Amino acid sequence: MFTRTSIAVFAAIGLTSVISAAHGETVLNVASAGSQNMVDYVKTYLAPKFEATHPGVTINVIGTGPGDAGSQKIYEKLSAQKDSNQPTWDIDVAVVHQKMGGEMVKDDLLAKYRSQIDTGKLVSRDSAKNALGTNVNGYVMPMFHSQTAIAYNSDFVKHPPTSYNQLVTWTQQHPKAFGYNGIKNGMSGVSFVTGWIYAYGTNAKTLSSEPYNKANEANWKSAFAKLKAFNKNVTFTPGNAGTLDMLNRGEIFMGPVWVDMFYSWKAQGKIPPSMKLSLIAPGMPGQPMYYVIPKKAAHPELARQFIELATSPEVQAQGIVKRFNWYPGIDAKYVKSKLDKATWNKLFAEITPEDLSKYGKSFPIAQYFDDIKEGYERQVSN
Amino acid sequence: MQQKEAQKLWLIAPAALMVSLFFLYPLCFSLYSAVTLDGALTLSHLDKAFELYSKDMLFTVIIVLVSVMLLAILSISIAALITLSPFRSVVGILGFLYRLPLFIPFIVAAQMMRTFLAKNGLMNNAFVASGLMTPMDTISFLGWSGIIITFVWKQLAFSTLLISGAMAALDDAQIRAARNLGASRLRILFGIILPQIAPSLGVALVLSTVTMMSVLSVPMMIGTGTPTMISADMAFRVDSYGDYHVANALGLVSYLICAGLAWFYLRQSLKDKGATA
Repeated sequence: MFTRTSIAVFAAIGLTSVISAAHGETVLNVASAGSQNMVDYVKTYLAPKFEATHPGVTINVIGTGPGDAGSQKIYEKLSAQKDSNQPTWDIDVAVVHQKMGGEMVKDDLLAKYRSQIDTGKLVSRDSAKNALGTNVNGYVMPMFHSQTAIAYNSDFVKHPPTSYNQLVTWTQQHPKAFGYNGIKNGMSGVSFVTGWIYAYGTNAKTLSSEPYNKANEANWKSAFAKLKAFNKNVTFTPGNAGTLDMLNRGEIFMGPVWVDMFYSWKAQGKIPPSMKLSLIAPGMPGQPMYYVIPKKAAHPELARQFIELATSPEVQAQGIVKRFNWYPGIDAKYVKSKLDKATWNKLFAEITPEDLSKYGKSFPIAQYFDDIKEGYERQVSN
Repeated sequence: MQQKEAQKLWLIAPAALMVSLFFLYPLCFSLYSAVTLDGALTLSHLDKAFELYSKDMLFTVIIVLVSVMLLAILSISIAALITLSPFRSVVGILGFLYRLPLFIPFIVAAQMMRTFLAKNGLMNNAFVASGLMTPMDTISFLGWSGIIITFVWKQLAFSTLLISGAMAALDDAQIRAARNLGASRLRILFGIILPQIAPSLGVALVLSTVTMMSVLSVPMMIGTGTPTMISADMAFRVDSYGDYHVANALGLVSYLICAGLAWFYLRQSLKDKGATA
């Protein structure tokens, strides 16, 4: 059995090296965390574009899974290759979440490349410099920015809540009609809970931009107690997509969702046109995804060219905004001129740019973020 | 003679190597990680595991126990029908049907149940279409009841297979003798068959328990996260906090729950081997 297994393993290794040698091509490995739509974006949109202008280069796209778990896998792989002193690492470009981007910079796993690419200076968002409290200036390029908001069925909800307080009252009047996915089944629920702490615990500015101070968490206890009471009137959904699914089937009438997923589902007819979005006060968090280059990537030059293409105003306009409904990663003013007016307006149809700047918050710094999640586990769900 | 013994040892070496490399080493490593922090012994991870997830542990135990109980009742009924029913053609169909879930992976079963058991899912829609219910009366089974339904549905094939196999292996003469003396079918089942197949029943249930404890896809897809099963919490600890210590401490708790059952299984299988050797 053992010999047979090892023969099979050697055969498989031999076969792959033969295949790659036969092609004689450079393979650029792009690992992407995040839901399937992000992997599809790189695989079906970016990769063919890049391969067309770079003959002899093949893009190998690896999806590592949704949520923080996907970024965690990329981190573990790079960290293992660093610890075993590999001369080159086998990921050339990675797409990671904000929190993990910060940790990778802290652990010296990334290359400082932004000043070496032309599109580097088109970035204006604060999240390109600061990832939940870690200075990542120069190490990351935002791929896009995504936002959470409350989706509701306008056929049944005529006056949607505009703040957390109003939402609480609404759920008391309509028990079980609001649904979210807790904190273990996807980031839209985590985002809702974070917004709750911004509303009833500590304001967003303190938690996302000031240094960690445990004393700020003094009044979280009452916030969590309130949330526990709130949870009695809500339905729990199985995930980010699960919330949209239940909205579509009319099992709930309101719930927190990712704006980009909402628009994509709407465009595909998976949720009815009567669904609308509301970004409630004092605000809900959103996050960017980052393009990063591992410190010892095998093809750093190609990796830089790849990211340069991916963050060019044309690709950001046609790919990120038009096809996938994300907010652009580079400054919006460079993107706007590349788009027709209708597409641009569609992006801000439900949530106006004013609301976005007023109520679009970022996630708190990493320690507070862990404290929020653990506080929820300790005081709300257990 | 001695050389022969040595040769025998060589024969088991590949298997032993595989087991120690891919099972014993990771097992010891995760146990070690559950009770240490930077090399020093500590109970803080276990403390935290209980502080944060005690409800989930209880939930897991209840889900598994209820599932196992339903499993025992259903698989004994099906196996008894197959063994004792006078309608052979019906038995043929039943014998084919109950095996189907054996070939369906947990994740596929979970996805099926998700579309079947949802509030506006296939099952409720069928009831509504046939006029038995109105859309307002439907309720969703996604949650603890859905997890139990999926577990029982999936494990039913496996445990019925073991139990009906054991029943088929019984000496037919005993059943005929009992029947000649006027025993009813129910009496034969409880008086003659069940006492003899008890070890197989135990083994089927223990193996099903261990399988249920280890499944991640079902609580993730059908459960709603609050409360959830230990396996989902372990995944969350690693994915969300990168915290292997508490995840391993939760693993330790699962080991302990399963260990009690494994002890029963090992004792039973050793006894069986002793009887036949």
